Amino acid sequence: MTDVPLHRTASFSPIRFLRPLIGPVSAVVVAFVIGGLLVALLGQNPLTVYGLLLSGSLVGWANLSVTLQLTTPLIFTGLAVAMAFRAGIWNVGVEGQMLMGALAAGIAGYALPVPAPFHVPLCIVAAAIGGALWAAIPALLRVYLNVNELVICLMLNPTALLVTGYVATHPLKAPGPTNKLPDILDSARFTNYSIFSQLNTGIFVAVALCVAFAIFNRSTVRGFEWKLIGLNPRFAHYGGIRVRRDVLTIMMASGAVGGLAGAEQVLGVYGAFYDNFSPGYGFDGIAVAMLAGNHPLGVIVAAFLFGALNSGSSVLQMELGISKYLVQVLQFIVVLILAAKFSFAFLKRRSPDDRVPPASPVPQSGQSHVTET
Amino acid sequence: MLSDIAYSAIRISTPLIFAALGGLYTFQAGMLNIALDGFMIIAAFAAIATAFATGSLTAGVIAGVLASMLLAAFLALFNLRFRAHIFIAGIAVTFLAYGLTALLLKSVLGQDGVFASDQIPTFPAIQIPFVRDIPIIGPLVSGHTLLVYVAYLSIPVVAWTLYRTRWGLRVRIVGEAEDAALAAGIRVDWIKFQTMLISGLFCGLAGAYLSLGYVSLFAKQMTNERGLIALAAIFFAKGRPVRTAAVALLFGLATALSVRLPQVTGAAPQLLQLIPYLVTILAMVIVGIRTTRDNAHNGGWRFDQ
Amino acid sequence: MDGSHLVAMRGIVKYFGDFVAIHDASIDIRPGEIHALVGENGAGKSTLMNLLYGLLPRTGGEILLRGRPVHFSSPAEAIASGIGMVHQHFKLAPSFTVAENIIVGSEPVKSFARLDLKAAEEQTAALSKRFGLDLDPRAVVSTLPVGLRQRVEILKALYRDAEVLILDEPTAVLTPQETHELFRTMRVLADSGRSVIFITHKLREVLAASDRISVMRQGRIVTTRDNDGVTAEQIASLMVGRSVLLRVNKVEAKPDPEPALIIRNLTVRSDRGATAVDGLSLQVRPREIVGLAGVQGNGQDELVESIAGLRRPVSGHIAICGVEPATADPRASRQAGLAYIPADRGRVGLSLQSAIWENMTLGHQNEFRRGPLLRAAAARLRTRELIRRFDVRGAREDTPAGALSGGNQQKVQLARELTRSAPLIIAEQPSQGVDIGAIESIHRMLVTMRDDGRAVFVVSADLDEIFSLCDRILVIYRGRIVGDFDSRTVDVEEVGRLMGGITDGHDGHHADGGTGLPNVAAEMRVGQ
Repeated sequence: MTDVPLHRTASFSPIRFLRPLIGPVSAVVVAFVIGGLLVALLGQNPLTVYGLLLSGSLVGWANLSVTLQLTTPLIFTGLAVAMAFRAGIWNVGVEGQMLMGALAAGIAGYALPVPAPFHVPLCIVAAAIGGALWAAIPALLRVYLNVNELVICLMLNPTALLVTGYVATHPLKAPGPTNKLPDILDSARFTNYSIFSQLNTGIFVAVALCVAFAIFNRSTVRGFEWKLIGLNPRFAHYGGIRVRRDVLTIMMASGAVGGLAGAEQVLGVYGAFYDNFSPGYGFDGIAVAMLAGNHPLGVIVAAFLFGALNSGSSVLQMELGISKYLVQVLQFIVVLILAAKFSFAFLKRRSPDDRVPPASPVPQSGQSHVTET
Repeated sequence: MLSDIAYSAIRISTPLIFAALGGLYTFQAGMLNIALDGFMIIAAFAAIATAFATGSLTAGVIAGVLASMLLAAFLALFNLRFRAHIFIAGIAVTFLAYGLTALLLKSVLGQDGVFASDQIPTFPAIQIPFVRDIPIIGPLVSGHTLLVYVAYLSIPVVAWTLYRTRWGLRVRIVGEAEDAALAAGIRVDWIKFQTMLISGLFCGLAGAYLSLGYVSLFAKQMTNERGLIALAAIFFAKGRPVRTAAVALLFGLATALSVRLPQVTGAAPQLLQLIPYLVTILAMVIVGIRTTRDNAHNGGWRFDQ
Repeated sequence: MDGSHLVAMRGIVKYFGDFVAIHDASIDIRPGEIHALVGENGAGKSTLMNLLYGLLPRTGGEILLRGRPVHFSSPAEAIASGIGMVHQHFKLAPSFTVAENIIVGSEPVKSFARLDLKAAEEQTAALSKRFGLDLDPRAVVSTLPVGLRQRVEILKALYRDAEVLILDEPTAVLTPQETHELFRTMRVLADSGRSVIFITHKLREVLAASDRISVMRQGRIVTTRDNDGVTAEQIASLMVGRSVLLRVNKVEAKPDPEPALIIRNLTVRSDRGATAVDGLSLQVRPREIVGLAGVQGNGQDELVESIAGLRRPVSGHIAICGVEPATADPRASRQAGLAYIPADRGRVGLSLQSAIWENMTLGHQNEFRRGPLLRAAAARLRTRELIRRFDVRGAREDTPAGALSGGNQQKVQLARELTRSAPLIIAEQPSQGVDIGAIESIHRMLVTMRDDGRAVFVVSADLDEIFSLCDRILVIYRGRIVGDFDSRTVDVEEVGRLMGGITDGHDGHHADGGTGLPNVAAEMRVGQ
C-alpha cells in the first residue's frame, strides 16, 4: 500500500520544470501510436480518426464547450483519486462516491425548498457529505481492520450503482418512464455557459479546488505530513503523525471531492439524478491522476486531455462508427505505461538490497553506498 | 424449490470457482492479482466471437483461454519485467480489457451493449448414468454442462499441484520468502510468470463458461466483479484450495438466492443483486477482524499491508 | 602453489553507476582452508563475494574456478558449480520445515514431479549427522533460535555439494558460545577438503578461526597473508589505512539520581505471539550511557518498540521523564521526552524516497509552523545547517535519503533526533552498516549527549561497541535482564556467557535448549 504512485523528486537541473513532463508526454504519444495500430487493424485510417478526434473536440466553440463540459467531472474525479494516491491510499472507489454525491445533491435539489443563494451551497455540501460517507466505509475498514481498501472500493462501486438505482426506480422515482428523481428546483441549478453544451459553473469550482489543493500540498503542515504518510506510513507513525486518523480524513476528503463530481452532473448537466448516468467518470479519474502524477494542477491538464478525447469520440462514433470505448483503451494504455515507468524510478531510489544499487551514488563522499548485507 | 436453488448455485459458482482457482496460484506466489475480471471478460468475448464465427464450442473455449492467457502474460510482463505496481497494472489491464471488448463488440460484432445470436452453439447437458438416479443428490449433480464438471474436478488437481509437487513447493516458497527462493537458485520471476499464466488459463475457462455456458450472450462488463468475489474467497480461505472453492460455492449460493428470491418476495431486483457484493464485503470484514484480533493480541502496529 | 587454487578472482572491478565499489581486487582461495575476508563496513567484502556468488554482475576482471574461467549470471549457476553462501540476513522461509528449506531448488522427486518429502527429511537428517549439525528436519524454521537457523543455511549449502562456502558476517547474530561451535563446524568443513570464506570485521575472530587473511579497503584487497604471527593491530591498521582501535575518549560518568527511563515488570509479545519481553525492569539515568547487550531475538526489538510507542505491551509500566505515556502511541512517547534512533532506517527511521529536508523535518513541524502553513524555506535552511554540523557527506537538502550511504543515513537520523532536545535518547544498533570513520563520530555524538545531561540507552548486538561506548551494561536473555554491570569492572567473557543464558561459571542449560557444547564435540568426532 505504501507503493502508491508517484512523487517526482525535485531536481536542480535548469529544466526542472520540464523534466516531470517527459514521462507523461511520452506515455501519451506511445498510447496514441498503439491506438493508431488498433484503429488500422479495425480497418480505419488512424490519421482520419485522430484528425476527427482533434477537430471534433477542439475546433469551434461548439466542440470546445462540449470538451470543457466533459473535462469538468474528470477534474473532480481525477483530483479525488490524486489526493488519495498521494497519501498512499488506493481510493479506486470514486465512481461510487460520485454516485452517492449525485444522489445526495439530487435529493437536496428537489426536496429542500431553500432560498436561492443558499440552495446551491446546500446541495454541494450534501453531495460532499454523501461522497465522504461512502468513502468512509473502505476507510474505516482499512484503518481499523486493515482490510485492503482497493478490493472494497471496487466492490462498493457496483454497490453504489445498485443502491442509487434502487432509490431512483423505487422510493423516490419521478413520475414517467425514466428512472430518475424529480427535477431539481431552479434555485439549485448551476449557471450554464454555452448553448451547445451543459458547460456550467462547476468547472470553476473544479479548477479552484485544484488550485487550493496545490497550495495545500505545497505549503501546509498537513500537506507535508500527508505526503510522508504516502511514502512511508511506518515512518510517519514513528514520527508522531496520527496516521490512522489522517488516512481516515484523507479518504473522506477524497470521497467528498468525488461527491462533488456527482453534484456537478446533477446541478449543472442533467438537472436531476438519473439512474446509471455516469459513463465511468470515476474510473477515468484513475487515469487522470496517474497522468497528472498526482499533482493537482496536472489534474486539470490531464482531465482536459481525456475530456477532449471523450468529446471527440462521440464524433468518431457518429461519423465512423468507431465505439467511444477506443478512448478508454487509450486511457488505460497510458496508465500502464506510466505505471511501468514510474516503478523504475521507484526501485532505483529505494535500493532495497545490493541487487539494486542506488540511482545516484555520490562519488565525492568517497564512501560505499552499497550496504553490506 | 430448494433443490432448484442448490442446482443453480452449483452452476453459478462455476465461474467463481474457476476464477478463484486461478487467483490462488498467483496468491500463493505472493501476487495479489486483481485483474481476474479483466482476464475473464476478454476470454468471454474471444470465446463467444470464435464460437459464433466457427460454430465450434471447442474453438471458442480454446480462443477464450488463449486470449485470457495472453492478457495474463501482458500483465506479468509489466509487473515482472517493467516493475509496474501490480495494483495499478492490474487495474489498467482490467479496464483495458473492458474497453477493448466493448470496442470490438461494436467494431467486430456490430453490437452496442449486448451480443446474442441463434448461431452460437450451446453446451449439451451431461446426464451421468446411475448418479442421476440417486434421490436428492442425483438431480443436483447430474445434468450440468461440461465446464461445470471441469471446474469442480479441478479443485483436487489444484491442491495437488500446490502441495504435492516440486513446483508447488517452489511457488509457495516464492510467495512467502522471495529472497530465500532466489538464494536457493529458483528463478522467482519465471515461477511468478507461470502462476500468472495459470491464472489466465483458469480465468479463460471462467470467461468462456460465462458467455457460452452460463448464458449464450456477451454483454460489456458482464463479469460483474466475479474476479473480486473470487479474490475475497481466497482471502477468506487463507489460500487453501479446497476451502477457497467451498467459500466460492457459498458465495454462489448467496447469488442463487438473489436470483430466485424476487419471484418469491417481489423485492426490488437491485436490492437482491446487492447480495453477492454485500456477502463479499462481509467476508472481507471477517478476514479483517480475524487478522486484527491476532495482531492486537501481539500489540504490533500494522498499517502497511 | 598456483595450481592448488580452488577459486581465483583476478583484477575484479565493479561499478555501480559512476561509483567504484570494487577496484582491481584479486584473491585466491585454496582447497581446505578457512580464508578470512576482513575490512570495515563498506570496504566491498560482501560485494566481492556477491560477484563470486552470481548475485551481481561484475564490470571487469575474471573468476577462475578450478582453473577455468566462469561467468555466473545467477546464484543458481554458482550453486551448480559448488559455491554456497550463507548471508548475514538468513534467506529462509519461516513457515516451512527445515527439510523443505534445505531441499528447495534441488528437490528429491518421485514420479510425476511429485515432491519426495520423506527422502528430503532422510537426506537432511543424514547430512546434519555427518557434519555434526544437530537439527530436526521436521521442525518449522520460525520456531528455531537464530543459531539453529544458521545451521539450516549451512546445511542448505552442503546439501548442494558446496565446495566453497561463503559465510557473510556469520557471528553477528551468535553468542560467544555459538560462535565457538560455528568455528568448530568451519574446521570440520575445511578438514573435509572444502574451502570456507569467512567475511567479518571482528579482528579477534579472524585471528582465532582463519588459516589465511585477506584485508579489503576501499574496494581493494590490500594484502593476503597467513595467519601466523599477525596481530590485531596490524590488521586493523591495514583495514583502515591508519590505526584505529575503537576507543571512545570519555570522562567518568556521573549519573543524576532521578532516572529518565523507568521500566517496571514489562511484558511484551512478539509478532508471532510469543512472550518476547518477560516481566522486565530497568532504569536509565541522565548523564550515563547504558548498553543493552544480547543476542538478536531476545526481546530487544520488542522492548524498544514498546518504549517508542510502536508496540502495545501486555502489561507493565514505562515512564519517560516521570511521565507514563499512553501505550502504543509514538507521539506520546516523543512528547514525554524520547528521541529514538531506530535500527531499521529504511522502514522506520527514514523515508528513503523523501528529500533529506523532509526526513529532518518530521517531528520538528511545530518549529516551522505558521498557523496551518509550513515554513518550508526555513526548514530547508535548518537542514542545510544540520548537514554541515553532522557532516552528512555528499548530500544537499533535496537529495533523497535513499541515495545516501548507511553511515550518512544514520547521521540524518541522528541529526533529526538529537536536535529534539529530548532528555532520553535510545539508539538501536547505532553502528550497523556504518563505516568506521562514521562510527567514531556517532559514538562521540552520543558521549557529548551524555555529558550534556541526557540519558542514553544503546541497544547493540556488537559487544565491542557496548564495551567501548557504555558506562553500564545490561544483559538481556529471553526477555529478562540477567546481568547489570559497570563496564569498567566486567569482562567480555562474563557478558558473553550471560548472553548465552549460561549462569555464572556452570554450564547450566544452553541458550536454545538444543545441544550443549560437549555433546556437539562428541557428534563432530562421529561425523569425521
